[in-house]
Amino acid sequence: MKNLILLGLLVSSTVIYAEHHEQHGMDTMHSHEGHIHNEMVNGKTLEVDAQRFDKFMIGIDNNVVAVVSVQGMVCDFCARGIEKTFGKDKRISKIDVDLASGKVLLAFPVADDIDNADITKKILNNGLNTTDIQVVGN
Amino acid sequence: MANSGSLADTIYWHYTPNINYSVGLDYQRDKVSNEYFPSARFTYLINRKNTAQSQRNLYLKAGVGLNDSANHFYALAGDWETRRLFSSFSAKKSSGIGYDMFEQSVKVGIAPYLGDYGDLHTWLMVETKKNDLDNERITYPVLRLFKGGALIEMSYHKKTKWDIHLMYRF
Repeated sequence: MKNLILLGLLVSSTVIYAEHHEQHGMDTMHSHEGHIHNEMVNGKTLEVDAQRFDKFMIGIDNNVVAVVSVQGMVCDFCARGIEKTFGKDKRISKIDVDLASGKVLLAFPVADDIDNADITKKILNNGLNTTDIQVVGN
Repeated sequence: MANSGSLADTIYWHYTPNINYSVGLDYQRDKVSNEYFPSARFTYLINRKNTAQSQRNLYLKAGVGLNDSANHFYALAGDWETRRLFSSFSAKKSSGIGYDMFEQSVKVGIAPYLGDYGDLHTWLMVETKKNDLDNERITYPVLRLFKGGALIEMSYHKKTKWDIHLMYRF
């Protein structure tokens, strides 16, 4: 019984922490330092972890990057299919999966090769949902 | 996928043509009788809900013995997880030669740290099970580790001893 109560307290405290963290994330979405905030042509704001983005861009300076916002990408093991699927696409030069922000970065040497419908379909085929695709560069 | 427990060792291959279902072949060796029980399995995704922070799934599972169709099962299973928390349940009705069994299980887990993509991920879990054959609930700790496409899950209970589950995603 004691163990059950302790387990209950542990889970409850983690839920409260997770909810607080999520709330914090929503409140300060556009004010954290260390994030890239680009005003897009369509008026949307793009948020990408600057350090992660800079690291991703090493060796692919002239590429354009599709920043794909994905729902349901909570598990590394389950997200493996995304890397595998896009890895087969010869048009894509580099892939990054960011579990923390729920974003997939796809680098394309040629901007015209970015096909939003194709990206959305491939994400869906992996059991996840695309909520937004924004293009950075060139 | 391979599983080694106190009563049987199992190897399970499955193929997922699309997100809605998977088909598989299960090959089980009974440690008591030393007999082999191959079976075909089917898993159907009834419902999935993705959010920015979570994923929830509901599955229907079924299997039938290839040697004898008297060996079969069907189950309803579900899970909900965030990067920090995990919970799942299963209600399984299985039949074999001379027995019918209904088993219910619930598992909850917490990730002590949030790893990045490609890191070693760790889950500390507790699972509880009860079936209507021995009508006794057993509760035991489970440790799940995964990195890349490889996953290992270990659990221990004084009655069922060690249960080790290995999975590799190709």
